[in-house]
Amino acid sequence: MKPLTPLQRRKERKSRNENALDMNLVSLIDVFTLLIFFLMSNVGVETLASARAVQLPESMSQKAPKETLLVVVTANEILVGSNVVANVADALAVPDDMIQPLKAALDVEAAREVIRKENEADSKRVTIMGDKDIPYRLLKKVMVTAARAGYSDVSFAVRQRFEP
Amino acid sequence: MPARRLKKTPAHLEITAFINLIVVLVPFLLSVAVFTHLAVIDLSLPAQSNEQIQKLDPDKPLKLEVIVRKGWVEVNDKHGGRLIDPPIPNLVTGPDVKTLSATIEAIKLKYPQHDDASVLAENDIPYDALVQVMDAVRAGHQVQGKELVFTDYFPNISVGDAPVIRQ
Repeated sequence: MKPLTPLQRRKERKSRNENALDMNLVSLIDVFTLLIFFLMSNVGVETLASARAVQLPESMSQKAPKETLLVVVTANEILVGSNVVANVADALAVPDDMIQPLKAALDVEAAREVIRKENEADSKRVTIMGDKDIPYRLLKKVMVTAARAGYSDVSFAVRQRFEP
Repeated sequence: MPARRLKKTPAHLEITAFINLIVVLVPFLLSVAVFTHLAVIDLSLPAQSNEQIQKLDPDKPLKLEVIVRKGWVEVNDKHGGRLIDPPIPNLVTGPDVKTLSATIEAIKLKYPQHDDASVLAENDIPYDALVQVMDAVRAGHQVQGKELVFTDYFPNISVGDAPVIRQ
């Protein structure tokens, strides 16, 4: 084999050293950058973490939820905050409108002292997060129990819907 | 003699670090993002049955009651009987919210200064139907010129038991 001329040698050396992989990533970066801005604008401060087990009803209400005591009524259980306090079947079986274990749990919450003055107005509010399939009978029992425990301001948590 | 040209190589951007950052940030933000916004409906619980409150107030002749029954929705005035007759029958999917909303709008036009309403439900009405009816009574979209305006009808809603139908 004929030895290479100096020029050919130089070319070969150069091609050997050029090992940078030239990927065209411009469009990928475009998409990612847009996606990041979109997601960043979407990250809101949610005061209510939506529970997976609860299918909330939809409403056109635009009122933002407040930081209040949360009573979650799923298809099977009743929770105060994140503690299971009562069973739906038991609560429905009670002939009275009062759910005793729920009342006990709410009494404990009501007995807590409010440290900051500006939170005092919110301390007697309760937000009910109910599954959309629970009957009104159960809801009424929960509301009556809350009212007896001193939580007379009730709000329903709903999923926001925009179209008329 | 050929012209001497500078051999240009395309500029290489060092974007590896940037891509690393983006690849981490995109799944993180996706996991944090909230796609369903929550809202609340405030209730005013009905006052404990107190005769003084129940008295007829001449300035407020209307006491709107929307009764959600198993097969239909009644719109009543507590003092003056039915406001619509016959009541609005349910659709297959649940209460006929559109007709109800139109009815409520007509009532609101008649009594513009009223804000209070009661939604009364029977025991077996699902929560979803109750919220849909409350939504229709609370506010709705009104046509004003070319635009749809979201206006309040009867925002102070209380919830209660439906009166039992006598056989």
